[in-house]
Amino acid sequence: MDLFLQQVFNGIMFGSTYAIVALGLTLVMGILNIPNFAHGHLYMLGGYLLFFFGSTIGLGYWFGLIVSVAAMGVVGVLMERIVYRPLNDQPHINAFIAAVGSLLFLESFALVVWGSQGLRIPNPYPQMIEIMGITTSIQRLLVIIGAVLLIAGLHLFMKKTILGATIEAVAQNREGAMLTGINVNRVSAMTFAISAGTAAVAASLLSPIFMLSPSMGAILGMKAFVIVILGGMGSIPGAIFGGYLLGLIEALGGGYLSAAYKDVFAFGALILILSIKPTGLFGQKEV
Amino acid sequence: MLKLTQVHTDISGMQIIHNVSLEIKQGEFVALLGSNGAGKTTMFRTIAGVLKPNTGSIEFNGTPIHRLPVHRIVEQGLVLCPQGRQLFPHLTVEKNLRLGAYPLRGNKIRIQKNLDRVYELFPILKERSQQQAGTFSGGEQQMLAIARALMSEPQMLLLDEPSVGLAPLIVQQMADVISNINHEMDTTIFLSEQNANMALNITDRGYVLESGACVLSGDCNQLKNDEMVRKAYIGA
Repeated sequence: MDLFLQQVFNGIMFGSTYAIVALGLTLVMGILNIPNFAHGHLYMLGGYLLFFFGSTIGLGYWFGLIVSVAAMGVVGVLMERIVYRPLNDQPHINAFIAAVGSLLFLESFALVVWGSQGLRIPNPYPQMIEIMGITTSIQRLLVIIGAVLLIAGLHLFMKKTILGATIEAVAQNREGAMLTGINVNRVSAMTFAISAGTAAVAASLLSPIFMLSPSMGAILGMKAFVIVILGGMGSIPGAIFGGYLLGLIEALGGGYLSAAYKDVFAFGALILILSIKPTGLFGQKEV
Repeated sequence: MLKLTQVHTDISGMQIIHNVSLEIKQGEFVALLGSNGAGKTTMFRTIAGVLKPNTGSIEFNGTPIHRLPVHRIVEQGLVLCPQGRQLFPHLTVEKNLRLGAYPLRGNKIRIQKNLDRVYELFPILKERSQQQAGTFSGGEQQMLAIARALMSEPQMLLLDEPSVGLAPLIVQQMADVISNINHEMDTTIFLSEQNANMALNITDRGYVLESGACVLSGDCNQLKNDEMVRKAYIGA
């Protein structure tokens, strides 16, 4: 029983990260109509910026986190402006190629600046606590709580404010949004800022527990795609639910069967779910 | 209020609108007639800024608008209610309407007033305010599209074929509501229609568009009695 609870806890922790990253990916996908392949790499860069501001410059964990999230918001805006906006009226394949280009750029950038060696961010809360028979560090608990707060905040923003509603409006009908007086370019930039900023939050929460490496974005980016497809393209609840589901599948599969195969469980679940429900768990039919 | 001077618009290299000049004054109710493919939608999309004219100028209240992005034209009070409606299918009716008032954002009192006004105009929208727009029938979607366009208190409304695909009875209701918007809310309306009969009964005057060129214009009685219009658009 203890093992089970421990694995569920780990699953929820990884799921929290997956949910945030997939949420950011799904938001931008609604706006661009293509997946931003570089999204996982924004996550990676967010982790390195925390290392830079928090450790190298010495702002400490919390100030470093705030500054790196803000900086990633700016990176998101720049990415929209420089990489994707000029391709707005071009065939989708161009944006695909641009996405792959940005991914390679970001990974090489991290490699050149910080090297290929894994870096460690000092864990601000390494103390262990015990709840309901689960032993965990406070930082791990913080990942879960931080994710819940972030997702709830984003939900309120999207549902309760008119600015948040413009994101859904542009995703559902770009021209319709223009005709109601929405500045579609500004909404795209804002969505990219949110997407990159939330990826940085996820990275900042998790990176004191795991090492930073330039390649960590690629794996996470791939998983975020799995989640977005699993949850249903463009569905926000799907991305959140899918994120936690994938975290749990990996943790339980890894804990009980074999940790070496945890990615097999993740992608196996994807194939299984899509063969039963091709639109994904929360996929909406076109109306 | 709206003035087009020698406007030409191309779509992927094909000239769709040829040398159109026209003028609409404040408070007028004007029809744009033409058969399918005559260029009515392209002309409206050009005026609204979705497409840019290759040459020529478009002025609204004396300011050139043909280089402005769509949202800036909306802010000036010129709103297109597009063909195909362009609603937000997965948002509720009320969200769609509130987004229509985006240029007034922050002004809660005015938004609420406009919401009440369009609910009064289209009571069915009030009944179904929490329903997703995509679940509506064609007629209801058209009402929602017009209501959404009215939410920002436009000075001038471009209505692109509001009767298309609607049952004859609904077309008549729609015509009444549109006249109402022109007379009581003092909104200038430019209405494009294939249904010349309906359009000429409610508007003051009209233009006839053929193959992207303006071939005829005049007041409605004149157009109704014109041999060519009768043959081509009224079928009598």
